[in-house]
Amino acid sequence: MLDVGRHPNIDLMAYSEVEEVGGDGGDFKVTVRRKARYVEEDRCTGCGACKEKCPTVLPDAFNEGLGTRKAIYSWFAQGIPSTHTIDPAHCRQLNGKKCGICQKVCQAEAVNFDQKDRIVELDVGAIVVATGYKVFDPSQIPEYQYRQIPNVITAIEFERLLSASGPTSGHLHRPSDLLAEAEIEALEKDVKKSEKALDKFEQKYDQASAAFYDAYQKGEYEGDADRAKWAEKYASHRALVEPLEALKKEAEGFDVAKRLAFIQCVGSRDFRFYPFCSGFCCMHSIKEAIIANEHERETTSVIFGMDIRAVGKGFEEYKVRGGNQSGISYVRSRVAEITEGPHRNPVVTYEDTRERKVISRDFDLVILATACAPSEGVDRLAGTLGIELNRFGFFKTGTSQPLDTTRPGIFACGCAHSPMDIPESVAQASGAAARAAQIVAAANMRKAS
Amino acid sequence: MVNKDILVIGGGIAGIQASLDLAEMGIHVYLVESLPSIGGKMAQLDKTFPTNDCAI
Amino acid sequence: MEMGIEMRGKKPQADELRIGVFICDCGSNIAGHLDCPSVTEYASTLPGVVYAKENLYTCSEAGIGEIQKGIKEQKLNRVVVASCSPRTHQPLFQNSCAAAQLNPYLFEMVNIRDQCSWVHMQEREDATQKAKDLVRMGVSKAAFLEPQQDIEASLIPRVLVIGGGVAGLSAAGSLADMGLDVILVEKDAEAGGLLRRINRLAPHGEKASDRVLEMIETIKARPNATLYLGSRVEDVSGYIGNFEIAIRPDGGDAIREKVGCVVVATGAVPLKPEGLYGYDGTRVVTQMDLEERFLSGGMDAQRVVMIQCVGARCPEREYCSRICCRTAVKNARLIKEQNPEAHVHILYRDMQMYGTENEQMLWDARGEGVRFDVFSPDQPPVVKEDRVEFYRPLTGEMMEIPCDLVVLSTPLVPREDAQGLSQLLRVPVDQNGFFLEAHAKLRPLDFATDGIFVCGSARYPANVEEAVSQGLGASSRVATILFKDKLIISAIVAEIDPESCVGCMGCMEMCPYEAITYLPEKNICEVNTVLCKGCGCCAATCPSQSARLKGFKPEQLLAQIRAV
Repeated sequence: MLDVGRHPNIDLMAYSEVEEVGGDGGDFKVTVRRKARYVEEDRCTGCGACKEKCPTVLPDAFNEGLGTRKAIYSWFAQGIPSTHTIDPAHCRQLNGKKCGICQKVCQAEAVNFDQKDRIVELDVGAIVVATGYKVFDPSQIPEYQYRQIPNVITAIEFERLLSASGPTSGHLHRPSDLLAEAEIEALEKDVKKSEKALDKFEQKYDQASAAFYDAYQKGEYEGDADRAKWAEKYASHRALVEPLEALKKEAEGFDVAKRLAFIQCVGSRDFRFYPFCSGFCCMHSIKEAIIANEHERETTSVIFGMDIRAVGKGFEEYKVRGGNQSGISYVRSRVAEITEGPHRNPVVTYEDTRERKVISRDFDLVILATACAPSEGVDRLAGTLGIELNRFGFFKTGTSQPLDTTRPGIFACGCAHSPMDIPESVAQASGAAARAAQIVAAANMRKAS
Repeated sequence: MVNKDILVIGGGIAGIQASLDLAEMGIHVYLVESLPSIGGKMAQLDKTFPTNDCAI
Repeated sequence: MEMGIEMRGKKPQADELRIGVFICDCGSNIAGHLDCPSVTEYASTLPGVVYAKENLYTCSEAGIGEIQKGIKEQKLNRVVVASCSPRTHQPLFQNSCAAAQLNPYLFEMVNIRDQCSWVHMQEREDATQKAKDLVRMGVSKAAFLEPQQDIEASLIPRVLVIGGGVAGLSAAGSLADMGLDVILVEKDAEAGGLLRRINRLAPHGEKASDRVLEMIETIKARPNATLYLGSRVEDVSGYIGNFEIAIRPDGGDAIREKVGCVVVATGAVPLKPEGLYGYDGTRVVTQMDLEERFLSGGMDAQRVVMIQCVGARCPEREYCSRICCRTAVKNARLIKEQNPEAHVHILYRDMQMYGTENEQMLWDARGEGVRFDVFSPDQPPVVKEDRVEFYRPLTGEMMEIPCDLVVLSTPLVPREDAQGLSQLLRVPVDQNGFFLEAHAKLRPLDFATDGIFVCGSARYPANVEEAVSQGLGASSRVATILFKDKLIISAIVAEIDPESCVGCMGCMEMCPYEAITYLPEKNICEVNTVLCKGCGCCAATCPSQSARLKGFKPEQLLAQIRAV
């Protein structure tokens, strides 16, 4: 990524969109909208002082909502460019409220609330489409209860939990536990406030609240409006403290997720959504199970799949090793139902087709291997580029020239072409580069000596 | 007259590779990415199979 | 502690040294976690240092300006920057030094961010002390730095493609279309590889021969492409940009050529499953045998059983050959197309129909009445004279399928001559015998040895679309080298002192890049600076310290270590 940022031949336009494409292969005229970051790219050094002070806290999309970011943010710490961006939907200053703290603390004077989108016109000879894919939203499968059961998560969410730079520093805390801890934190805040208020009364009347309340309940202090307030305050305080104590007790038993279930083909090989196979999800489930076991040796994983497609170079060996050394077992099954059991454990109901049994089993965490769907806005982009989509919703490409789209001069590679793993994406990307280079080659050639 | 520049749409691993290859060939590339930085899905991954190298 | 090693190389004269040290705040990344002013003050007291300056952002225009100003005004002859990782800005700082007329190799970078402030965020005092230690180490090494010159090498804009199958044809055609000269060498009398023996292609059913003829005509039509049929590559010497090759046509004289890059596209061959499932080539055949029967019109079986993973995904051959499931489904559908009444039954462990088109084929096949049944590897099917018996886990019963033809889906395996070619080119193969690329994920078509690339089934079993894409990919990888006027290589390479080298070849065995050769007439080893990547393995291995890495010589490293 760093090489891209530094290469003298690459003009990197991040936070930008292609809006219009005119012309033809060999001579395209492209209109690009460079969206306003409200931060000057040539001044921002990515130091991060701004986001330390920003008061607005929001869910972090890079961490799939599991972490937080500020209204002024960087996509991720090592991102290229390191230029920060202000989220116009949530920035106080940009929404008419007083703030501007980021501007005050920025030593590079890079914050500019008056920045506008810029339109740039480009003349290019060829276009390479490498727009990747979109993660399927499993809430479309009601029987998996993805939104209802916190301990049912997607593979990409699991990647963020596993990552040392992720929201839990690589500790596999269960989302239900994270929610409980957030609740505990919020309740503790409220309890503190409430204690402060009670303190005032205790000082005033030189009496402990508990003792006062006993007396109040017995009927003393009738008609005393002030003391009535105190009693009310005390009652609501207890209403906070009791559930807080209960939650804290429960939290003492919290442990990292050790019994994992991976469910393959979520949205893939499914006539309701995407009939195709997403190609890499069997492998990333195996990988995630192996890494989770590395983090915590007691971790066991069950991978529920119809076919376990470990077809790339080195993959079958990796899968077998995972089975032998990382506590992974494979069950030939398509999971029918996920429900929530005691301790917020997800319960998976399935038919083990090799054993011919229907089984319900509980786990600590269920990971859904979601489909590799055509990326967001692919229809619009196809329209803008004047190219067709195939029946699977990816960019349509040729037979004898598999990287050529339906319009000369425009090529597709990687998951924009079809679901594929990283080495295939890299090989195809080089291939698309070759096809594009052929169009402009004449200008860059030397004769052989 | 053929324009010598090339547009790459998408700054994930495929877009990055295509851009670098073209740039090394001496061709000028515009790399357009909709997110605030490049890296795509791969940047969100922890490690990649089968080598278990870091995804970044 | 004395290391007991003679310090070679010029000892720095204290009065000649004029070291400038630039300490970076990196905004708050560094300054927020350690005392930069104190580190700067400390740096100014170090031996040889005549100038120390703290900058907010050394990588900014202002910061670069400070370095260049320092070089000019303070007549600095060494520059040390203490900031982030060399991976981020070392080239920028080196270029800045060069622009100010200071040899860029007289620049040393110290990482006080990733290796200090970032990992000791709550330990300000200790982090500050560590930063001082690191700066002292850097300054000590800088004292021993020597000016270096980048190495230039010429590039011959001609490419050798070994193998005229689908991948090789794709690579050659693409290279020719990019204006490079191409030499395509094919050992058979006709190009086309395995595709010459194949009937129809998945998923659209076109004839394999049509496809391959189209690609061959493309090559023949290109004036800058030369096709040698019935020929083998006999010799390859040299290195990136300057390979010398010898091509031997069958029964002819060797043809010598010079090329800048080599692409390996030698493919793979289907396994003949001798001794497995009663393979006899008549009633129990392979998918390739079946293809040949289709082509000759000899496919008339009414009841066919196909068995997957024959000789694959087993202890002898652990890998999955990934294209055999698709081949079986393709052929099953062709059998049904030819004869809708035919019974076709595929016995499998996993149907490896990955991706969009493959999965679609699987569903279409089911719709056309092809039967699929899973079996367990520990209870494989048994082929009898007129039927196949297998245990069906899904119903818990033993099944019998009467059949008049059994088709075994076998993996592609490396060619017998792959080993020989790997030695000729000095590129590695993996434990399965397939050529081993530089990096499984990020450099799938490159070899670690510069200038040589691989595509198609020589690398790993690939279907036609993948082989074509990889051929295109390899051509791009070649172009990133051969489109340049010349190759410029970093000066940080190893050199071997011919006076002290004893020719033990320890360095050669360590070198991952095949950059060292042994000269028998002198009994010494020699580094090819074009191939050398400056990894230092040879220098670390050499028992006589004859192999030394420029920029990381023993005296330089020892100075750093002693400074701790």
